[in-house]
Amino acid sequence: MASSQELSDFLRDVERRAFKQTVYAVRDDHVALDIVQDAMLKLAEKYADKPVTEYPMLFQRILQNTMRDFWRRQKVRNLWTTLLSSFGAGKDGEEDHDPLDTIDVEDESDNPMVQLERSQTMVIIEKAIEKLPARQREAFVLRYWEEMDVAETAIIMGCSEGSVKTHCSRAVHTLAALLQKQGFGSKAMASLGVKS
Amino acid sequence: MDDIDQELKNGKLDVQAKQIAGLLDAHAKRLSMRTLKQLENGRERAVKTHAQQIAGTGVNRDGTLSNIYLWAEHHRIVSTGLVLGAIIAGFVIMQSFSQKDSSDAFLLSADLPPEAFVDRSFEPYLNNGQGKL
Repeated sequence: MASSQELSDFLRDVERRAFKQTVYAVRDDHVALDIVQDAMLKLAEKYADKPVTEYPMLFQRILQNTMRDFWRRQKVRNLWTTLLSSFGAGKDGEEDHDPLDTIDVEDESDNPMVQLERSQTMVIIEKAIEKLPARQREAFVLRYWEEMDVAETAIIMGCSEGSVKTHCSRAVHTLAALLQKQGFGSKAMASLGVKS
Repeated sequence: MDDIDQELKNGKLDVQAKQIAGLLDAHAKRLSMRTLKQLENGRERAVKTHAQQIAGTGVNRDGTLSNIYLWAEHHRIVSTGLVLGAIIAGFVIMQSFSQKDSSDAFLLSADLPPEAFVDRSFEPYLNNGQGKL
């Protein structure tokens, strides 16, 4: 059984990646935050008796299931919104800008050119990842970002190991081709400080 | 599948994928203060819940009622329909009971004996005026 400190350390390590991964899937920061917080709570409630070594797989499984629940509710909500839209519900005004949303944590590199290149690269990569089919994105994130092996990824995704390899291969081909097209080959990535 | 296995063995895919994952990881470290704060709040809530579970003071999530609640949460439309159906059925049953009560009160206060209302030939008898003395 994991201790509360072990759980805290695990969540601290995984929360940022989980948030970004969810943002790529649902394309909404607020919703992504809710999903990640729900997943954390479910892990603590239902699997308090599990050892910490099982938490990475369990957490990823819970996160994927919570995302699917969101998509299902979204589908039903969209149906009702479409049906009731003729009653002329007014659109909410845009939220006031909150400076906290744009304050970043300090970056190691103070070089503005490097920061600009990085941010431009990230915009391209993030858009490419968002455009990937859901299963390919899932496989890519679990295999290469969460560093799970093929067997673990197959269990979380509920498919065969062969399917995981196929999804990964397609995802990486798509992303690599897109980056090449944008002029980001291996050398360019290396110059941004990314080791291959 | 053989081609994919070959590519994976060559490590070519892995190199490209890890480069991309490395960029994603670096970018994930640069979140806004607000987002970090909210993630921290979620983490603290989870840790607190975990501590309660271990201490045995948390809500039992393995009970029958808990399972029913979870089922209803996942099947919201069906469970809403069941609840509405139960309310309507209860309303209809209450209505029928009140009708029975009113019919009992009517029989007890009527001048004629109950047998007269059961006898189907009684009403035609009255309408034909044969009851006149």
